[in-house]
Amino acid sequence: MNNTNKFAIIQKADSKVVKLELSGYLDAHTAPQLENSISQLINDKNYSILVNFKNLDYISSAGLGVFMAFVEELRDNNGDIKLCEMTHKVYQVFDLLGFPVLFDILDTEEQALEKFRKGDLKKNE
Amino acid sequence: MNKQDYIGACCELVELQKIRNFIEDKALEFGLSKEAAGQIALAVDEACTNLIEHAYQFDKNKEICVSAEKNDNQMIVSIIDDSSPFDPLLVNRPDMEAYFKQFKRGGLGIQLMRSVLDKIEYYPAGSNSVNNILKLIKNIH
Repeated sequence: MNNTNKFAIIQKADSKVVKLELSGYLDAHTAPQLENSISQLINDKNYSILVNFKNLDYISSAGLGVFMAFVEELRDNNGDIKLCEMTHKVYQVFDLLGFPVLFDILDTEEQALEKFRKGDLKKNE
Repeated sequence: MNKQDYIGACCELVELQKIRNFIEDKALEFGLSKEAAGQIALAVDEACTNLIEHAYQFDKNKEICVSAEKNDNQMIVSIIDDSSPFDPLLVNRPDMEAYFKQFKRGGLGIQLMRSVLDKIEYYPAGSNSVNNILKLIKNIH
């Protein structure tokens, strides 16, 4: 870890899916930034969100809580939030809490976009 | 011989990265793997986040002291605070299936701490210390 690589979000649109590229660390200090970004997307009626974790070095439960906060609303609007390209370290935190049951976590962006195209939705039943 | 180092941090979330860096550096120095060092840094982050948000309620005048020591084959991190005592060991383990069905958020930090640590001890103020002490322990393999 270093002090220069704090947290950043880059937003891109690919057809109906909005992509967020995260970098740096996502903890209780930086989680509100992500929360605001997703809130804004939902306000603008973007309900299909792909999050790329390739450059995210660190996540704590505060970061995981952001995804929990929005997943129901997105799915209620026929959208979803899908996650991809996690490092082993970040995936491990999701896995320790059993989050792969609730969220689609894919190896590549293409796999995640394909799931959006097919309308695949992770059901929590 | 035991060697103990500590860091003081203001009661602000922006301090979390400084605390994590301190713990991760000490863990590597004590011989933990990079993965284990990341895990104990995560546990300390979760404990300090709870302190800042819940115990101290973002009171910037307060301070948290975090110490790290190596004892035989264990790394012991002590987190010392003077807020109202709160024993995380008394928090029930959530039923994750029910948790997901309710789409709840928050409250996962203690579960993560339990998952990545070998032992957690809590000493509320008044027993042997004027402050609360939370000890997070990870074995060094």
